[in-house]
Amino acid sequence: MSDGEARRVHPATIAIGLVKSAPSTLLALPAMLAFGGEFGIVKVVLLTLVGLAAMAFFTWLGWWHATYRLTDDEFVIEGGVLHRSRRSIPLERVQDVSIEQKPLARLFGLALVRIETGGGDKDEATLDSVTLAEAHRLRLALRRAPVAASAEAPVEAEVGQRLFAMSLGRVLLYGLFNFSLVWLAAIFAGLQAIDGVVEFDWQELVGIAGREVRSHLTLATGVTVLGLALVLGVVAGLVRTLAREYGFRLDARDGRFRRIRGLLTRSEVVIVKARIQLALVHRRTVSGRLGWRSLEFQTLGGSDDSSGRQEMAPFARDDEVERVIAAAGLPQFEADALTPVSRGHVLRAALRHGLPVLAVFAVAGAFLPLLWLGLLLVPVPVGLALLQRRRHRYGLRETSAQVTRGVLSQRDWIVPYSAIQTISVRRSWLQRRLGLATVAIDSAGAKGWHRPDIADVAAPIAAELARELVARV
Amino acid sequence: MSLTIVPLQPIERGQLYVMHARGAVTAFVLIVSAIIAEVVFADELPVRGAIAGAALLVGIWLAVIAPPRRWRHWGYAFTGSELHVGYGWWTRVHTIVPVVRVQHIDVAQGPFERGFGVARLMLHTAGTDETVVILPGVTRATAEEIRDAIRERIGSAA
Repeated sequence: MSDGEARRVHPATIAIGLVKSAPSTLLALPAMLAFGGEFGIVKVVLLTLVGLAAMAFFTWLGWWHATYRLTDDEFVIEGGVLHRSRRSIPLERVQDVSIEQKPLARLFGLALVRIETGGGDKDEATLDSVTLAEAHRLRLALRRAPVAASAEAPVEAEVGQRLFAMSLGRVLLYGLFNFSLVWLAAIFAGLQAIDGVVEFDWQELVGIAGREVRSHLTLATGVTVLGLALVLGVVAGLVRTLAREYGFRLDARDGRFRRIRGLLTRSEVVIVKARIQLALVHRRTVSGRLGWRSLEFQTLGGSDDSSGRQEMAPFARDDEVERVIAAAGLPQFEADALTPVSRGHVLRAALRHGLPVLAVFAVAGAFLPLLWLGLLLVPVPVGLALLQRRRHRYGLRETSAQVTRGVLSQRDWIVPYSAIQTISVRRSWLQRRLGLATVAIDSAGAKGWHRPDIADVAAPIAAELARELVARV
Repeated sequence: MSLTIVPLQPIERGQLYVMHARGAVTAFVLIVSAIIAEVVFADELPVRGAIAGAALLVGIWLAVIAPPRRWRHWGYAFTGSELHVGYGWWTRVHTIVPVVRVQHIDVAQGPFERGFGVARLMLHTAGTDETVVILPGVTRATAEEIRDAIRERIGSAA
C-alpha cells in the first residue's frame, strides 16, 4: 500500500454535486424562460449551457484542489481554490471512522467517511465521497489495525459479535407504533409548497371538497375521512421507520460498537465504548406497556441521531437491552432497589401541571362561557401528578446513580459515577416552601430536554445525596 | 428550611459594588432610551411619563434593590477536592465541581471588577448544562490560590 501520497476523492463526486445543485438551478428556469421572450430562445439555451459548463468547471476545480493524505502519524485534508485550508489530524487523536451512504452515493458505490476526533459531530473532518472499498481501507488504516487485506475483503473481516438486530418483521412492527399525524401535516405542508410553484388551484379544490362534504355530510363519510387520515398516519410511520431502521444491526468488537441501518441512506456508525457516558432505557406510552424498550447511549460529542444520543436498540425486549448494556460494561438497571422521591413531588407536580390548565380555561371562560367546560380537563394533569411519585425513583448503586421518571412515557437512567461532571442542588421558591430540593446531575454530551435529575426530595436528603455523589465521583 | 451541604463563606463586599455599578449602567441605558421613546410618542401616550416611569421603576430595581439580594446569596467553599458555589435569590442553586472533573481554569477581571478589587474564577468542565461554573467576587489572590491548588491536583492526577 503506497500511502503518504495525496489522493483525491472519487470523480463521481463532481456528478453528485451537480445533481444535488440541480433543484436550485431548475428554480431559475422560469426566470430564464421569461427572459426568453426578449432575447430569443436560442440565446437563453446557450446562456444556460454556458452557466452549466461554468458550474461544472468550478465543481471540478474544487474537486481537483481537494486532496487527502495519510502519513505515518497524521491524516491531512487539504482543500479550497482561493482560500486554501489544510487540516491535519494526528492519528492518535482519531477516535473512530464512520461511513455513511446516501442514496445517490450508493448508485455510484461511494461512501462518505467521517473521521471522529471527539470534537462533536459538527466539526469532524469528512471525505465526501470515496469508493466503499477505499472507505473501509481508510478506516482500517486510521485505526492502525493491520491492513492485511486492503480493498479485497473489506466488510467480512471486521464483523464482531452480533449483539442486536431487527428483522423486517420487527422493523414493520416498530413502524406501526411510530404512527404519526405530524407526517400528515408535513405532507400537506409539502402540497401547499408545491401549490405555490405549479399554481395548482388548491383553494378552489378545497372549496369544491368543502361543498361536497357539506352536501354529503353524514356520519359515514366523517368516519371514512377520519379512517383515511389514520391509515395515512400509519403508512407514514411505517415508511419512515422502514427507511431509517431497515436492516438494523449492532455488533461489538474490540471496545467498539458498530451500528448499520437504513434503506435508502445506509449509515454505519461506530461508537467507542470509552466514550459512552450513560445509558437511557425509554419505554414509550403504548409500546412500552407491551414490553418494548429503546436503548440509547449518551456519548462524548453527542450524536446525529434525532434524540442527540446514539440509538443502540430502538425497539427491543428487556433481555436484548440488558445484553447491550452488559456489552458496554455498564451496570444493569435495578428498578426494585430504588426509592421514591418525597410526597411533596405529587403536590408540586399537581400545581405545576394543573394550575396552567386551570388558569387558561378560567380566563378563556370569562370571554366565552362555553370554555368553562375546559375546567373538566383539570383532573387529567392532576391525576397524572398523583402517579408521578410512584414513577419517579432514584438510587445510588454500586457503580452508578440510577433514576427513573415519567408516567406515560418512562425513562430509566443509568449514570456511572465516573460520568458525572458536576452536581447542583436547586430549590425554587415553591420548593423552599415545601422543604424540597432537586438534585441535578450534569454529564458530558447531553442534548435535548431530558436529564437524569432527581426532582423533589426532602432538602436534608438532597444535601446528603449531593455529598454522597461527590464522594463517589 | 435551609440546606447545608457544606458551610459557605460569603463573597467580597467589592462584588456588591460591581453589581450595583453594572445594574446602574443597564438602568441608565434603559432610562435614556425610555426618555427618547417618551418624547417621540408623547402624543399617543394615555398618561404622560408612562414609559419613562416604568423604566425608572425597573432601573431602581436593577441598580438599587436587586444587587444586595443577589449578592447576599452568593457563597463558596473550597475543600481541596471540590469547589462549592451557591447563588440565586429566587431559585437557590448549590453547585459542586469535583476538582478531578475540571478541564481548565480561567481567572478573569472586567473593568468594574478591577476597580473594586475582585476577580472571577471560572472552572470549565466537560458537562453540558454547567460547562462553566463561575465564582465571582473573590480577591485575585484567593482566585489564584484556588486555581493553583486545582492545577496541582489535576496535574498530579494526570
